[in-house]
Amino acid sequence: MKAIHKTLIALGVAASVAGLSTAIAGDDAFTKPSISAKAMADALHLVMDSDRTIYTRKIVNRLVKKEKVIKASEHFEDDKALVLPAQMFRFGSELVAKRAEKLDDVNFSYSLQSLWPINAQNAPKTDVEKEGLKFIAENKGENYYAEETLGGKSYFTAIYADVGVAPVCVSCHNDHKDTPKRDFKLGDVMGGVVIRIPMDG
Amino acid sequence: MRAPLYWLTTACVFPAMAEVNTAYVELQGERLQQGRKIWLATCEGCHGYGIAGAPVPMDPEEWVPRLEKDKAVLYEHAINGFFGVDDTMMPARGGNPDLSDNEVRSAVDYMAALAAYYIQLKRK
Repeated sequence: MKAIHKTLIALGVAASVAGLSTAIAGDDAFTKPSISAKAMADALHLVMDSDRTIYTRKIVNRLVKKEKVIKASEHFEDDKALVLPAQMFRFGSELVAKRAEKLDDVNFSYSLQSLWPINAQNAPKTDVEKEGLKFIAENKGENYYAEETLGGKSYFTAIYADVGVAPVCVSCHNDHKDTPKRDFKLGDVMGGVVIRIPMDG
Repeated sequence: MRAPLYWLTTACVFPAMAEVNTAYVELQGERLQQGRKIWLATCEGCHGYGIAGAPVPMDPEEWVPRLEKDKAVLYEHAINGFFGVDDTMMPARGGNPDLSDNEVRSAVDYMAALAAYYIQLKRK
């Protein structure tokens, strides 16, 4: 029942974010805020994490590890391979940001960041991001929530742990020439998903 | 339904409650103490939180069917790796190639005994 409840919230948020609520504008139930920023962030993360989990299991695990019919590679174009789950996630966030620019009532962003990024652009920038990534690394299993003001605007920011779930996640990060950390082990928090929602509408 | 009891009676004894200060209960017996150390260092990262579909030993519903299997199956899955029905993936030796077969088996023994402990706890 709990899972169904979460799914319904997720579907509702996804529909709202996609702009479907505008089709029935005028109905108070769909135009007045009816979900907290935390609930929206949790629902968004549930959708993101579930999609990524399914990609990891049904595409990467099944085709790469189990059936061995194709590789997954950071250099997927050169190697004619599948994109890595983390790349899939990052490409999604970039597309969402691009598409959201054209949707007036869609105001949120998300990114995959780390205190130990292979690519420096994925390091935390704000104080909340830095504090939140440190918190989830030190308190495994817990999320981090905070409000922050950026450019004069208030935001609700949620940070969720991103864990190394396969040996290849760990070995790739530990062995990468640009990594600042080489002692990750399976199950370690390697970074976090940062979801930011404006508080002012 | 005998399997959880099997793991308890053959592998461990309930600890005194005063000793229980964490969910990862310290179970008596040299092998289980060794297994607990290995489990904490290699397995806990995923099995402690259900990451990537890893069954959590503190969740009786996830472990009753597993403990009904022949323990050789659990050992084989842990040593050589295993794909679950939903294409979940248990990496060989928990992703730690430095572990010997015996060390992996002792970690399995601890996790199974811990699961049996929580199954018994729920039934009380």
